[in-house]
Amino acid sequence: MAKIDLLFYLGAFLFCSGLLIVFTKKNAIMILLGIELMLNAANLNLVLFNSQKTGLEGQLFALFVIIVAVCEAAVGIAIILKTYHYYHTSVPDQISELKEKP
Amino acid sequence: MELRLTEISDSAVNLLPELIITTSLIASIIIGLIITKNRQAILHALALVTYLVTFLIVIQRWPSQPSSLFGGMLRLDDFSSFFKLLFLVGGFLTILISTKKKEATASEYILLINAIVLGSCLLSMSMHFVMVLLSIELVSLSSYILAGFGFDKKSSEGSLKYFLFGTVATACMIYGFSLIYGLSGTLDFSASQFVSTLSNSSSTLVLIGSFLILAGFLFKITAVPFHLWAPDVYESAPTPIVAFLSIVPKLAGLAILVKVVLAVNLFGQSGYPWQTIISVIALASIVVGNLSALPQTNPKRMLAYSSVAQSGFLLIGLATLSMEGIHFLMFYSVIFLLMNFLVFSTLNQYEHEGEMLTVDSFAGLGRVSFFPAFSMLIGMVALTGLPPTAGFTAKLLIFSSLWASYAETSTGILLILFVTGLIATVVSLFFYLKIPYFLFLKEVPANSVPTKSSGSGNVLHLILVIVLIYLFIQPGVLMGWINQITFVL
Repeated sequence: MAKIDLLFYLGAFLFCSGLLIVFTKKNAIMILLGIELMLNAANLNLVLFNSQKTGLEGQLFALFVIIVAVCEAAVGIAIILKTYHYYHTSVPDQISELKEKP
Repeated sequence: MELRLTEISDSAVNLLPELIITTSLIASIIIGLIITKNRQAILHALALVTYLVTFLIVIQRWPSQPSSLFGGMLRLDDFSSFFKLLFLVGGFLTILISTKKKEATASEYILLINAIVLGSCLLSMSMHFVMVLLSIELVSLSSYILAGFGFDKKSSEGSLKYFLFGTVATACMIYGFSLIYGLSGTLDFSASQFVSTLSNSSSTLVLIGSFLILAGFLFKITAVPFHLWAPDVYESAPTPIVAFLSIVPKLAGLAILVKVVLAVNLFGQSGYPWQTIISVIALASIVVGNLSALPQTNPKRMLAYSSVAQSGFLLIGLATLSMEGIHFLMFYSVIFLLMNFLVFSTLNQYEHEGEMLTVDSFAGLGRVSFFPAFSMLIGMVALTGLPPTAGFTAKLLIFSSLWASYAETSTGILLILFVTGLIATVVSLFFYLKIPYFLFLKEVPANSVPTKSSGSGNVLHLILVIVLIYLFIQPGVLMGWINQITFVL
């Protein structure tokens, strides 16, 4: 039981550090990395909780999450590349043509 | 979960509308590759025919017994059919108003719109977290790309911001799914096991998990505090796309939000005050949306904040957590679709004639050509919620259900929501009527070029205006239809 608790806390830690990276890092690529950490935290949880139950629902869900993460990264990098083409930077803070105009 | 081949083939028959959209999606890729002459006309015609046929198929099955498909992954009932009809109308109108856009020549444009409609249809039927994730991602990923379809500096920026906010919301949602899965032991949120285990659990993780899940949906419906992407995306994306993104993904998010909130509320057995939470979100959306819209000078940015406020009004229907409230929410959804399309389509028509970057550029145009300005006026009046448009009826119904709910439970937050909603409606007059004010009451600048309006666009606007006024006089036609929908989870 203690092992399961430990792994659950590891998942929560991964999620929180992912969220922290998203909020503190400036570069869009680093934000993508943070998002991957958050998704992996969810995967860890899913597989962990599945081990206490019958069936494979959780593990299958984890597989789907991996697939979705790949699609997101593909679309995301394409969008970042497109923005880089116009702004010559991938730091969202420096990409700010759209903002509140008084 | 035992899935036999016969069950899959039986389920596939019920999935005919989605299969048709998928076929059309694949066909548009092939057409885009092999046909070069008249490609745009063919693609648009194909999409229009697809939506029309699908619409007829969905309507022909109305009303139907709820049937569970693919081992409980999806459920086809009148609630989801109703929202499917709205998505199809939304897709149809979008294709119709984007025929003259240069962005719309690419086959990917039609493909992505098809994909969003498909994802939204599946999302409104989802009963299982795996299905929710897959369909919400189909909608999201296509929206991120569509938002960048202006192919210029601004729209790539809008697309990037949309993507970054969106993926974080999705990641939170998936973590929420995993927590709720661990606590309830099932991913099927309509299962009896889901309700029984969660109502016995006293862990705070239930609240955290549920809220993380809702974050993903609230992002889709641009509710506060997940609305930050909306103004940038609305300002930068092509107008038909903005019209589409402000309606179809939003209503899809709303449909699944209703289902999931009712599920996590555990039919009133939940120990957590879900009614208060939804009310606070609705309240924040109304206040932030209306106040931020006031100083805006860019019409699309203003409409983005208006859309945030409209989400708040839609959420009021859900905050009552009653059957009646949800019926009125569905009524409001229909009216919202019509009025939002009217406004964006008129805006689109003006944009054909020149850049419309600020509200000032509308000055006096109503005197030059009357009809587009008139449809803009009706659209704005409807969004404000004034008679003689159905926008008034929708607001009246949703506030009356809120009042009924307050009279029943006398929860303080509902009263605050009621009063704030009414005050916000008055405040919204100032920004909604700004464009009509410039159109009709300002002088035409001396250096302006006289413009002429297109005939086909006017016919579409006229139809929308007539429907909006007709539903004000005869709301019973639509309400009678909606009242047939019994909603069981």
